[in-house]
Amino acid sequence: MLRAFILCLLLSVSAFGQKPTFTVGWSIYAGWTPYHYLNKSGILRKWADKYNITIKVQRFDYAPSLDAFVAKNIDACTMTNMEALDMPAASGVPTTAIIVGDYSNGNDAVLVRNGLTLGGLAGKKMLLVQKTVSEYLFDRAMTINNLRAQIKSVQMVNTSDSDIATAFLSDTSASAVVTWKPLVSQILKQKGITSLFNSSQIPGEILDLTVVRTDILNRPDGSGQRFAKALTGAWYELMGLMSGPGADKVLASIGEGSSDTLASYKEQLSTTKMFYKAQEAAAFGESADLKTKMELVRQFCFTHNLLGNNTKSVDDVAIRYPDGSVQGKTNQVRLQFDTSWMQMAAKGTL
Amino acid sequence: MTSAFSLIHSKPGRTFDTALSWLLFAAGVGIYLYVAQARHAENPEERVTPTVTQMVNGFTDAALKPAEDDEATLPENASVFRRFPASMLWKDTKATSRRFFYSMLLLIPAVLLGLHMGLFPYVRVFFLRFILFFDKIVALSLLPILFIAFGIDELSKVMLIVIGVTPTIILDTFNLARGIPPEQVTKAFTLGAGDFDVAYRVVLKQLMPNVLNSIRLNLKAVMLFLFAGEMIASTDGLAYRIALLRRHMGMEIIIPYVLWVALLLFLVDLSMRVINRKLHPWFREA
Repeated sequence: MLRAFILCLLLSVSAFGQKPTFTVGWSIYAGWTPYHYLNKSGILRKWADKYNITIKVQRFDYAPSLDAFVAKNIDACTMTNMEALDMPAASGVPTTAIIVGDYSNGNDAVLVRNGLTLGGLAGKKMLLVQKTVSEYLFDRAMTINNLRAQIKSVQMVNTSDSDIATAFLSDTSASAVVTWKPLVSQILKQKGITSLFNSSQIPGEILDLTVVRTDILNRPDGSGQRFAKALTGAWYELMGLMSGPGADKVLASIGEGSSDTLASYKEQLSTTKMFYKAQEAAAFGESADLKTKMELVRQFCFTHNLLGNNTKSVDDVAIRYPDGSVQGKTNQVRLQFDTSWMQMAAKGTL
Repeated sequence: MTSAFSLIHSKPGRTFDTALSWLLFAAGVGIYLYVAQARHAENPEERVTPTVTQMVNGFTDAALKPAEDDEATLPENASVFRRFPASMLWKDTKATSRRFFYSMLLLIPAVLLGLHMGLFPYVRVFFLRFILFFDKIVALSLLPILFIAFGIDELSKVMLIVIGVTPTIILDTFNLARGIPPEQVTKAFTLGAGDFDVAYRVVLKQLMPNVLNSIRLNLKAVMLFLFAGEMIASTDGLAYRIALLRRHMGMEIIIPYVLWVALLLFLVDLSMRVINRKLHPWFREA
């Protein structure tokens, strides 16, 4: 009896040793719902088997997924470039972006009632989830139109994204709302509401990434590297299916992950610039453009106190790019863009 | 020796008593400090479990500096007494207390309704079934309807509390009123009291201490609904600040804020207990 138990224990320990397990967290968004399909279709399992690891996929609400990643409960997570910087990176959890999936190309928008203009928003009530890409988008909209000085006089109401659409539609005293799809489409259906500014006017600034904790990638047994390879390989296999012939069937199946119909999922994709080819994604990750955009984002995060009250300088949370250059203090790198796995996918060496 | 084993009759000494009552606090604080220290040793920039110094700094800033969306109007060297009323903490506390106060006021009609339901059969028939049903409604899931009916400003937040808490208070008062011995009512009538004399001067008077206690027990529910309302849509308030700070794990302010709320609720509870004792010295807790 005892020997059987010890045998069991030894077997399970060695089994554990043989197959490291990793968890990916994702939340509902046009560019991330593919994870639902990756898991369901067995594509991810195939790649995990190839690299002799186990990959679990778990769906979260967005904010809890960030919390779980910061608390190190999950190993990889989907998030925007802004949250990657102000949540894990700023909390001292070094983070590496291994897949640049897409950028918002109209998914996020500033909507108003009664034909207001950006210049007429001063003193008006605006609903948004404060301190997120929504506020960033509004900030950029005002900056581009030389209205920066008026930002402070807009009366921002912090509104939970689960209620923002109904809140805006039912309360006519709110003049403007900043939110994202599919809520944007839902709000725009109402008469008299127009879109003033959307993320296609700031292309490449709101990036949707898959990030992994850097310490996972640096595991001495190399299992973290295998995890990144398996994940990237599976991702680009699916990207091929999504953009190839007969894609509708795959897209419909992905849409189920967010309870969207094929039409509605396609509509969301039309304002999402997906990098279907690993080559494109890697090229974007290595471009000088990325640095200029991240500079805007990190300055926004710092001036809005999102890097933490104890962060005295924007350079304390530094970003490293694939060419080795660093924004901020070189000994304080917390966020990295690493295109090596996307490059491998592009060359077909995964 | 035998008496030592009689647990129900044991009489712990004063010092021991005090020490024992603080033991769980000490354990809680100790475990927190240990975990925080361990996490900070592993990652100096850790934000989920701030150290005591970080929390003290965070709270001092909150209590002395204006919120970041407000302009700093006071000179750097202004005294603490001038800086506190302009601070973020004071602004949030004021906003939340105002909403709290209005919803407490709205509990008065609830008590009166419960009383009338307990005494007047027609009122009871009219309301009871509906309120029993209404009491089971999970108010939070009806938010979109609340927004349409009451907008997204103050009114909807106060109404959320009213819908969430008043049915409990009404039903509790109703039950208490039903529990008054009918002999007393009859007696009052024989002494020449009218219907409303009986209601307000005989029954309500006796109910009041119990009603106050039941409101005290519901303070937490009131706060819970208020927090939910502030987190859903607002521009100020304690829960608004917590919701904002959560976006970047500002735990060094969130934890002190939560303790501050606990302290305020404790003070409200304490003052209600004291008032209850002053107003109804004849009352003995059952």
